[in-house]
Amino acid sequence: MTIDEALDRIRARLDLEAETEYELLEEIRAHLEDAVEEARARGLDEEAALAQAAARFGLEESAQELQATHVGWGTLEGIAAAALPVLFALVLRWSIFAPDGTAIGWRELLNRPALWAVAALALLLPIRHFPRRRYALLAWAVFWGLSILFITFPALRW
Amino acid sequence: MGTQSKEMTARDEIEAGQLNQMRKGTTTLAVLKLLVDAGEPMHGYQIIRALEERSQGLFQFKEGLIYPRLHQMEQDGLLESRWEGEPGTRRRKVYAVTDKGRRRLEAEMAQWEAFRQGMTSLLGLEAIRS
Repeated sequence: MTIDEALDRIRARLDLEAETEYELLEEIRAHLEDAVEEARARGLDEEAALAQAAARFGLEESAQELQATHVGWGTLEGIAAAALPVLFALVLRWSIFAPDGTAIGWRELLNRPALWAVAALALLLPIRHFPRRRYALLAWAVFWGLSILFITFPALRW
Repeated sequence: MGTQSKEMTARDEIEAGQLNQMRKGTTTLAVLKLLVDAGEPMHGYQIIRALEERSQGLFQFKEGLIYPRLHQMEQDGLLESRWEGEPGTRRRKVYAVTDKGRRRLEAEMAQWEAFRQGMTSLLGLEAIRS
């Protein structure tokens, strides 16, 4: 068995986002390489060193626990990810924009602290709670997209 | 004799299971203490080796199981990690304790000390030592 084959045994039991899986396997690769190096320093040959390293690591058990630790979002998190930008866009529409929902005098609007407070909250809250920053940026983009949509089509009376 | 032997094996298994559960509960504390005492970030292999050595063999489990624990601690805000090394070389992920982790360590050390004193008193261990 090679280290790559050992990692394949772990990979076969993982069903995670590609970037997460890549980082996990790189971390484990470094561990196995260190373990093999140590075993070889004790006098074992390459094959025996790797076999010992793999046995002491617990490939299958570790894969199972890693999967459980890193499994994707639950239902509640998914709902929150979808709802947050909509919620913030609605707060913006009803609290900040003109009564008819348009951004009349939009230059003055840019000077309103409330606009930037809502926009900052729409970014910071997802950054604080979502596992990766890009999900927070995506939610923020949805928030701005919805906000622009609301002020562009006020007749629809959101 | 055969029955006694079976009872002893069953009892050994129960005690081993209880010891395993205790280890699981204290791994977080042990990792935090280890990293704070080290004063520098450590990667998983270093952590597992140090745990075995400092615990005089008590912490001996499948080495790979340290990683789900470290990742969970990171998700809980107790640890932070970074990669060391350039891409293409052997990169290692090292872990360091956060402020939240230090506060958790202090709290759990205090609980552990209270537990130790209580059990020492309950079991009369001071009398035995003296």
